[in-house]
Amino acid sequence: MVVRSRFNYRYRVVSLFFFVFGVSCFATHTYANDSVEAVTHPSVELQNYSKNSLRAAFGMRLKTWPNGLPVRVFVMPDDAVLHTIFTKEKLNIFPYQLRAGWDKLIFSGTGQAPFLVKTEEEMRERISNTPGAIGYLKRANIDESIHVLNIE
Amino acid sequence: MKAYMYSILNKQHSTPNYIMMYRLALVVLLLIIVMQEVIAQQDVKGIQVHGFLSQGYLKSTGNNDVFGNSSGSGSFDFRELGVNASYRPLPNLQFSGQLLSRSAGEDSKGGIRVDYGFIDYTAMSTESIDFGIRLGRTKNPLGFYNDTRDVPFTRPSILLPQSIYFDRTRNLGLASDGVQLYGESRNSWGDLNAQFGVVFPQASDRSTEFAILQGDRPGDITPKLSYIGRLIYEYDGGRVRLAVSGAQVNTGYDASQRDNFSGLGTFQFTPIIFSAQYNTERWSLTSEYAIRHIERQDFGAARNLNVTGESYYFQGIYRFTPSWEGVLRYDAYYADRDDRDGKNFASGIPSTLKDYFPAHSRFAKDVTVGLRWNVTPSLMLRAEYHYINGTGWVSSLDNRAPSEIRTQLRSPFLPADTDQHWNLFAFQASYRF
Repeated sequence: MVVRSRFNYRYRVVSLFFFVFGVSCFATHTYANDSVEAVTHPSVELQNYSKNSLRAAFGMRLKTWPNGLPVRVFVMPDDAVLHTIFTKEKLNIFPYQLRAGWDKLIFSGTGQAPFLVKTEEEMRERISNTPGAIGYLKRANIDESIHVLNIE
Repeated sequence: MKAYMYSILNKQHSTPNYIMMYRLALVVLLLIIVMQEVIAQQDVKGIQVHGFLSQGYLKSTGNNDVFGNSSGSGSFDFRELGVNASYRPLPNLQFSGQLLSRSAGEDSKGGIRVDYGFIDYTAMSTESIDFGIRLGRTKNPLGFYNDTRDVPFTRPSILLPQSIYFDRTRNLGLASDGVQLYGESRNSWGDLNAQFGVVFPQASDRSTEFAILQGDRPGDITPKLSYIGRLIYEYDGGRVRLAVSGAQVNTGYDASQRDNFSGLGTFQFTPIIFSAQYNTERWSLTSEYAIRHIERQDFGAARNLNVTGESYYFQGIYRFTPSWEGVLRYDAYYADRDDRDGKNFASGIPSTLKDYFPAHSRFAKDVTVGLRWNVTPSLMLRAEYHYINGTGWVSSLDNRAPSEIRTQLRSPFLPADTDQHWNLFAFQASYRF
């Protein structure tokens, strides 16, 4: 009897694990279908941009835009789903690589950290109000106050 | 005044001073956390404040101590605390500084030091090229990890691979004062990043003196003009990273009166490091190789030294999920590449001292397995296990023979009788902001 209840418990834990795992896979999948774009404040005045330069901008290594405005980078937390999707799909690198690059700049004094926003709504608002700003948004959340960058 | 500053920043012999410093560090930290909340409201102005703190626990077997008395009941004497601020009034001008307090056994006694502090001016900055200059105290650009070696989050494990990033004679390698030129070129075929410095090393502390002269002498080690540089190539946003770095670190000796060590003494340390890394979503494979030339001469009572050491490691990091990762590493250190097993060294030691200068003190081969859990992006827990053959990199300050034996053998700086094969467990909790 005791053995049986232990088995039940184990069974429940295992099925819970698969449930959570399944939901998280599903969640990632639905997000992936809603495309994410690199966006800027209109003052940046860029239409097309190379992937390499985009990596440099999000890597906090690009200091000014071609028109002289300072580059201001906005990102969501390292573990945010949208951050992961953007990093992988648009920059073709992984969040841990961005983090390693930022930490090297922050903790050796040779650069600064990007500005952190918690939600997409905050991202949209900060970018539309900050000259020189760059960040990312789901296509559905982009309005005319924000420019979309075409990545070459 | 200068000597007084040095004694505050580096020596920390007396306990009350150390406790006071620690309290001061906590107050500064609290102040900065409060300040950060204020600054967060207007962070676009160009001021940023960041920091970290960590607490570790180490337990080792045998008689070998790492960061305090780890071989006894275990050591909690491993703490790191750092706060930095940067201010960028113009896109091409930045002021940066970091204060750091590190406790790790006898080598680091928790005093607050200026880890770096400099002005950074980018003379030229385009979409594909940067070129600039840094004036002040900059971190030494050596290998993949030296620049941020005291920041737990940036290390692959609690202890860096000690063969290359040894903690026992660390101060000479941390940061230096002078001029640094830097440049970066970003291209479709990859990015190149170069740094070159003409600097004075930090040499005036007890642990560096111990490393150079195998004892705490009446005079002081003095910094002399030195050179340091690194070139990094990164392909495809860092999927492949290759680097070569090198330095020529020079120090002299300021002999005191009635000193049996000569003021003409010079010490030159010339490391060259080759680094390679391959990154995928789940794997990061890293290897570094270092060759170090050490030359000590004209100290009078201390014999001349001319030796070339060698080190390398292979390391694999596997990410089970973005927040859980494991590390596996083989790390080898040889004090003298022409005497890898230390037998020549041991054969020259008088029989009464044989236990204290064994062959196994000339190498260390360390197999490390570790686990990292990022509980949140700002909180990290780590655990690791080392199986080590040799004591080549254990601290001479943490591992000294009992005082009655030192008196009896009339050798005030005699090292402890260590074990060749030993184990080390470490745990660490770290927080960042």
